[in-house]
Amino acid sequence: MIKDITVGQYLPGNSVIHRLDPRVKIVGTFAFIINLFIINNFIGYIPIFIFMAAALIISKIPFKYVVNGLKPIMVIIIITAIINVFFTTGKVIYTLGPLSITEEGLRLAGFMIIRLIFLIIGTSVLTLTTSPIALTDGIENLLTPLKKIGVPAHELAMMMTIALRFIPTLLDETDKIMKAQTARGADFESGNIMKRAKSLVPLLVPLFISSFRRADELAMAMEARCYRGGEGRTRMKQLKIEKVDIIAIVFIILLMAISIYSRYIVLF
Amino acid sequence: MKSELSVKQRNNTKIIAKVGVLSAVAAVLMLLEFPLWFAPGFYELDFSEVPVLLGTFALGPAAGVSIEFVKILINFVINGTDTGGIGELANFIVGCSFVIPAGFIYKHKKTFFTAIMGLVAGTLGLTIVGSIINYYLLLPVYSKIYGWPIQAFIDMGNAINPSIINLKTFVMYAVVPFNLLKGLAVSSITLLIYKKISPVLHR
Repeated sequence: MIKDITVGQYLPGNSVIHRLDPRVKIVGTFAFIINLFIINNFIGYIPIFIFMAAALIISKIPFKYVVNGLKPIMVIIIITAIINVFFTTGKVIYTLGPLSITEEGLRLAGFMIIRLIFLIIGTSVLTLTTSPIALTDGIENLLTPLKKIGVPAHELAMMMTIALRFIPTLLDETDKIMKAQTARGADFESGNIMKRAKSLVPLLVPLFISSFRRADELAMAMEARCYRGGEGRTRMKQLKIEKVDIIAIVFIILLMAISIYSRYIVLF
Repeated sequence: MKSELSVKQRNNTKIIAKVGVLSAVAAVLMLLEFPLWFAPGFYELDFSEVPVLLGTFALGPAAGVSIEFVKILINFVINGTDTGGIGELANFIVGCSFVIPAGFIYKHKKTFFTAIMGLVAGTLGLTIVGSIINYYLLLPVYSKIYGWPIQAFIDMGNAINPSIINLKTFVMYAVVPFNLLKGLAVSSITLLIYKKISPVLHR
């Protein structure tokens, strides 16, 4: 069962979007999210849609992956639709027993669903086109100004890199331990919450022991290679703002301006 | 440049490695979550707090907060976000409210009794901060993002527990029991495991 969980969504590629600076992509994604909440009518979605479609086409992400990203949120989308259609007061179009469908409800449901879908697709462009390591680099760089108030940016990024490196190893290990304990009669899948929580103990104890052994070995390997913190550390791939990054920033600012402007267009 | 590593640097490397691996364990456990029957669907219980607490007991509250932070960042990097970062922020604050009291109580006197006291304080912190965050930040923001009127949450809660009639009672009868149960479950597993692996942790 545990093998079914795929770690990360990153799709390697060499498009312009893939090559953008991770910092630009992270900040751009947040700007995109803010944009979605600035917009208050359907017209505002048109530039957003064009921007997102362009990003998807340029990055050459197969459509299948985009749809896959929407699957986990499907239930929430359906609930959102139902709640908005039935719970909004306004001009009644159709009555179904105690429930009534209103014009405003339908419009609001459509608006919310589009926003949710854009939100998910927009953020998945970031995780689909940026490797976790590049994201970590970007986050480290964005956190560096916070060093002044005591946030250990380099250490946090190093911890994150280590964690990302060990997740596949630990998934394998968890699977192995689960099988080993099942062979000894352990039961991980039935019983109530407390019983299931308790059944985790024979899984977690070996998992922790082995992960601490790995941490010790790793620390030793790092010391052997003279790791001494972030101070004066050089890297092979330096983050650098290039021409494409500036173009991307210009596009994002433009999109934001259009979104703010679209608030003042009254159509309905 | 100094050629030998100072003791402080060596300890630092060890802490970084341990925090990194514990965060990986937490991220793996975060993927195995299960929903609770008495609260609306989006409240899910996971045991990713167990490695965070173990790290807190073994390496101190600052390491605990780091594990919590890295865990949430990893989840963001791997799974993306469906709340525009607000859910992640709330998760971090609530996690810290569990870890920090537990860490500080245990730090001064490391006995089984202070461990229990720390976990009790942590559970209380989690419940109090969790309720405040839900009432003032999370539920209003969720209702804005998903376009669910607050009333819809209350109706959903009402269907399961009839004494839920407004947002305050929703927090009291759905969020508080959820957080108490989560704190209790996580604490009891942490205690069960900590005893067994503390020799390895302090080596």
